[in-house]
Amino acid sequence: MPDLPRKKVGLIACSGEDHPLGTLSRVAARLVLERLRPDDTVTLCLPLFLAGEQNERAFARFYPTIAIDACGVGCAAQATARYSGPVVRAINLEQLLAGLGISVKDSWGRELDEDGLAAAWEVAEIIARQVDRILGKEGRKAPQEAPAAAGEVATCSCGSGIPVLRLNVNGRTWELLAVPAIFALFREEGRAPSPEVTSELLAQTRLYNAISPQDEGELAEVLEATYRDFWEGRLKV
Amino acid sequence: MPKRILVIPCSGIGKVLGSVSREAAFQVLEELRPRETGTLCLARLTLGDAQAQEEVRTHPVITVDGCTKGCARVNVEQAGGRPAASFCAAETFRRHRELRPKSVLDLGPGGKALVGRLAEEIAVQVDRLLHAPEEEKDA
Repeated sequence: MPDLPRKKVGLIACSGEDHPLGTLSRVAARLVLERLRPDDTVTLCLPLFLAGEQNERAFARFYPTIAIDACGVGCAAQATARYSGPVVRAINLEQLLAGLGISVKDSWGRELDEDGLAAAWEVAEIIARQVDRILGKEGRKAPQEAPAAAGEVATCSCGSGIPVLRLNVNGRTWELLAVPAIFALFREEGRAPSPEVTSELLAQTRLYNAISPQDEGELAEVLEATYRDFWEGRLKV
Repeated sequence: MPKRILVIPCSGIGKVLGSVSREAAFQVLEELRPRETGTLCLARLTLGDAQAQEEVRTHPVITVDGCTKGCARVNVEQAGGRPAASFCAAETFRRHRELRPKSVLDLGPGGKALVGRLAEEIAVQVDRLLHAPEEEKDA
């Protein structure tokens, strides 16, 4: 059975090389990815939005994304919005740490000392709670002990090949994330085209794509026709 | 006074070699050639920040990437800069397989040694550029 991509939250850190909180942004992100929410989060290198391909640029449309920026310029949030999709949360570490009463040291630019690491953990726990909120898993207790640190457990999304279905219908181009995997899953389950199946296809598609209410009717028609073609072997996705 | 040379790493967060690129750049910037080099946030270039673009267009730039996707190099080029030299940590690792980094957050002894090798290569390139004719610095 094909794996339908599970809903995860994307984390994009600015990693600002020229800012004292650049390292903290990436360490906090990695702590969430590796230790606090390894099964629920995924990341991508920010500059890959420009250097990468269509799959990378689909990142924030596929994953609800939290941007973790060192400063108010908000490069991670803005660049993600510009090249991929709007972020669902934007964290400005300067503001956040000021609010927490944490003084920033210039030396954190390259490496975090004990205080810096403690600050990174505090930020990571805040991010983890936001991940839970986005996924509707609020109230879950964060693991106190980290998984074995020896191996890489966090997921990097570069080159992951988020499945995308592109359709041109009546002069309009639809770019639908995850739909090829959804189609494959439905066919394997023996679900022949029908109005009920179309409704379920639409519901699944909505999980991975921002669909405006006024587009739903047209999209349902597109999905119904396309899935019928797929089911009857006239279309490969 | 010679132009400051910009050393711009990819700082990739998804793979361990991104951390190697970042650490190697910092080693050059802070320890090996602190007076001759500077950096800027690559994220600002990705965003299209006008000041960052101006800097990469008017300074010799060395890019340091973790993997072959070459995000630092591509972003500098898309901003209108022409890297005078480009390094890739994956390439350095290919030549020093024994120096295996441990993880993104903790490079471990092998990773730190790999950082040292890459940083030395970058520093040599910095020296070359400082003593090169002007046209080579922009090439």
